[in-house]
Amino acid sequence: MICHDARRFIGAEPCATSRELALHLQECHACGEYQLEMVALDANIRRALEEPPVAAAARRRLGARPKWALAASLLLAVMATLAVWALRTDASLAHEVVAHVVAEPQSWAGTDPVSEAALAGVLRRSGVILDAAAPYSVVYARSCWFRGHYVPHLVVRTTHTLATVLILRDETVEVRQAFHEDGLSGVIVPSAHGSIAVLAATGAHLDDIAAQMQLAMRSPTALR
Amino acid sequence: MRNYPSDVPVSSVVPLTTGAAGDARITRLFEAMRPELLRFALWLSRDRALAEDVVQEALLRAWRSREALKDPACSRAWLLTIVRREHARLYERKRLELVCLNDALEHEGGALLSRDDSEINALRSAILQLPIEYREPLIMQVLGGFSVDEIARELNLSASAVLTRLFRARNKLRALYGLTPAPDSSGTEAPL
Repeated sequence: MICHDARRFIGAEPCATSRELALHLQECHACGEYQLEMVALDANIRRALEEPPVAAAARRRLGARPKWALAASLLLAVMATLAVWALRTDASLAHEVVAHVVAEPQSWAGTDPVSEAALAGVLRRSGVILDAAAPYSVVYARSCWFRGHYVPHLVVRTTHTLATVLILRDETVEVRQAFHEDGLSGVIVPSAHGSIAVLAATGAHLDDIAAQMQLAMRSPTALR
Repeated sequence: MRNYPSDVPVSSVVPLTTGAAGDARITRLFEAMRPELLRFALWLSRDRALAEDVVQEALLRAWRSREALKDPACSRAWLLTIVRREHARLYERKRLELVCLNDALEHEGGALLSRDDSEINALRSAILQLPIEYREPLIMQVLGGFSVDEIARELNLSASAVLTRLFRARNKLRALYGLTPAPDSSGTEAPL
């Protein structure tokens, strides 16, 4: 992949990735910075769209804000992102997991099962294999950038609810962690391959789901 | 043979369910979704009255086709798609009076914008000024949560064309921040 293609891909889907893009970003610092800028811009676009363009009492001239001020604010956003990145070891893993899930609300909108090929692609990028006999239907699968690694972000449909599963091969937890934040309940459990985070909006049987997903995961050593 | 109207998203049609309890549930669902549908329509139409008409008509269509909706989990994408189609249909059946958005925004002041910080308002203004061919897929992706493939199906475009439009939309917004836009040598969009 060349820079032109990488930037077109990032510009279209700032948070999406592919093996080719990941390989390119490992080599190309400039495209990495471009992605960081676009992710920050996308967060602002999302923020802008989240509120409808409603009537306001105050009259104002539009576009009066100087470009340098906007550039400075985006620079601050990038710096803040970098600061968070640099200090990530101090942040709560659970908090970051919740923040990631909340920032990807479209993950909850999936209804149709993800194709086996698409799921395999997402898992392969992170060096994970799920047994075909996994008990849940996967309705969303994306390879997401989380704490410096691409991790499989799945949404599975259980009998009663949808649950988000993040397979965190590069995050180790000593013991099970349970948390409640932003209306989500979750657990992070140790796994033979790092850890697994499971979140759901309702009182789902999170530990059961985590256990089932652990059972469905196969040794990835052949892929590493 | 299809047993649902042509304006109902085919991909969301699931087995029928009926009954008063089902109707009451769907009514509650529609009421709960209405603000989000209105927001979606507002970003598409840039006109509150028009957006309210679009949502009203879309909900009527959805109600008439309610038997097609069994799983509430399907409802969001189903309703957003009906709203988008209703908005597109509005432009097909009548030629709306066109105004210069720059002039309108200047004269109306913040009428289309909200009262919070000016940076986000500037971005909203820029989004509102994007041509519909760029604004629509961006809104569908960011606000609606549709994938590139879903947008391509809905807009009858190739996935490559959707990627190009999304790239160009963000590139235009990027320029707002004084950042150098990425070179755009995509040329014309690939046909479906």
